[in-house]
Amino acid sequence: MSIFCLGVNHKTAPVEIRERLAFAEKSIPEHLHAIREIDDVGEAVVLSTCNRVEIYGAADTPGDALDRLIDYLIDHFEVEKGEVEFYRHESEAAAMHLFEVASGLDSMVLGETEIFGQIKKAYATAQQSGSTSRRMNKLFQQSFSVGKLVRSSTRIQQGSTSVGAATVDLAEKIFGRLDGCRVMIIGAGEMSRVTAQSLQSRGASSIIVSNRSYDKAEELATELGGKAIHFDDWANYLDKVDIVISSTSAPHTVLKKEMVDSVMSDRRDHTLFLIDIAVPRDIDDDINEIDNVYLFNIDELQKIADDGKARRRRQIEICRDVIKEFLQEKGIEALADPPKGLGGKTKQEGRSPETSGPSGNALTNP
Amino acid sequence: MDDLYLILSTVVFLGGFVLAVISLRTGEYGSGRVNIGIAVLGLIFQSLFLKERGAMHGRCPITNGAEVLVFISWSTIILYLALGRPFRLSLLGMFSIPMVFFFQLMAIFSLQVADPGPRPPDTLDPWLELHASMSLLAYGAFGLSCVAGVMYLVQDRQLKSHHTGKLFYSLPPIRYLTQALLRLLIIGTALLTIGIIAAFFMDQFPNALHLIVSGAVWLVYAVLLGIHLAKRLPPKQLSLSAICLFAFAVITLSAL
Repeated sequence: MSIFCLGVNHKTAPVEIRERLAFAEKSIPEHLHAIREIDDVGEAVVLSTCNRVEIYGAADTPGDALDRLIDYLIDHFEVEKGEVEFYRHESEAAAMHLFEVASGLDSMVLGETEIFGQIKKAYATAQQSGSTSRRMNKLFQQSFSVGKLVRSSTRIQQGSTSVGAATVDLAEKIFGRLDGCRVMIIGAGEMSRVTAQSLQSRGASSIIVSNRSYDKAEELATELGGKAIHFDDWANYLDKVDIVISSTSAPHTVLKKEMVDSVMSDRRDHTLFLIDIAVPRDIDDDINEIDNVYLFNIDELQKIADDGKARRRRQIEICRDVIKEFLQEKGIEALADPPKGLGGKTKQEGRSPETSGPSGNALTNP
Repeated sequence: MDDLYLILSTVVFLGGFVLAVISLRTGEYGSGRVNIGIAVLGLIFQSLFLKERGAMHGRCPITNGAEVLVFISWSTIILYLALGRPFRLSLLGMFSIPMVFFFQLMAIFSLQVADPGPRPPDTLDPWLELHASMSLLAYGAFGLSCVAGVMYLVQDRQLKSHHTGKLFYSLPPIRYLTQALLRLLIIGTALLTIGIIAAFFMDQFPNALHLIVSGAVWLVYAVLLGIHLAKRLPPKQLSLSAICLFAFAVITLSAL
């Protein structure tokens, strides 16, 4: 038996195709059962996320199994033959692909960790459905080891890849843990909301929202669990916050150097982090000269995100080397046939006790 | 044998220094474990050196300039190991090790030029031992506060210039650096206070120059802490002050 992988991802298929092929979470056990009914497919794991739909499995003749699997997908999902170009990997290439996916190398945001949890969940679902046996168990357990190894031994996770992430990284390099950090939003736009949510996800609390239209401020404050204030009042709160996100549509600067100078003379050793995501800019550029005040505008944040992406891209080959080294050292246990005399596991063995029956383990590989 | 331990310790710290230079040039900072490993190995040889010298003198081995420099280096490394990890300041080691290397290099040269040899005390005065050891531990804390100050200024510069290279991601948050710096200043001043109080109980009262210099070092640090506690100095000023005061403290050592 040999392992295989069949799938589409964000690089090979547009969202219109991916959404049609996506497996509903609840239906995955049912599909796994059906896939394993396909002739020759011994084990199966379905990984279905917003960026990829992949089926991993084991079969004696993977090439034929993959053809039958494609027919299954065409029969069960709203896709036409020839409309979708699936990638197909067999044996070591399939393992290498899964290891790269687990390491975040195949993700839209390079090095992201969410995929690691999604693979774990997909594997757990398959395991609970009785769709995994020796090969898939070994393969996925190895993928978890590789994913951890790549993240701990390379810099694939270092550097921000979006404006929101850059803001959070900068805030953490200034304040450390963001628990208890107080945030004020001036101008309740979409970017402000996203940035504030990023900060909130890392522990920032006490969000104050100010907007020319008070209703809009109140709406965003409610969404973020914060407090709305009138636009005329925001300057009075400047000495009470650690982070200011400004994104008004004002044609001139709203935060002047004199205002911050006066506030900082009272705050002394309290740092102030200013994020100006407005165009035209809201915050006087000279403010960055004030001690203990750090100002970043949208271009500077975007540059950090671009640098972060480039830095991660430079890590790809290093990560691949780590994976290759792992494969050379440990080999792909999932590819190896079990020692003679122990008996190979078969389609029957991979099934749950309810489906395999008591005689399941007695069967051997042909 | 003591010379060998000092040389071995200095070679270890030279390795750390070279690593720091390479890291700064390439921007690859590795894990903090390497710095900790270097610090621990260097500390073992330092301790062996001080133990041998202590046995030779029959008292705390701070009888000449070379031993004083090694004792300050030893204090710096001990404090780094005690405070570096809990405050997630593993890179403090990378910045401290070059300073320790230069101190020990000066100590080696000093011992090569003129090693005064054993200086057993006429009578062992525990207050003198306490005074000397506490004062030098204080210098170690001040040395480390200077290093934290340098790290703060580097990180502040990167944030102000919007330059977020690899060093930026490797350095700790500026708030942690300020907190560590303040704690080190407090620890150093407290240790020096104990050292100075111990001097008043010594069998032989220190000479006027010694008293003036120690008092001046204590006073400048106490004034800095007093001003900070009363007025909350901005972190940049606190960092610059810690660097300048340590330079002053090291210069005054030559007078002692």
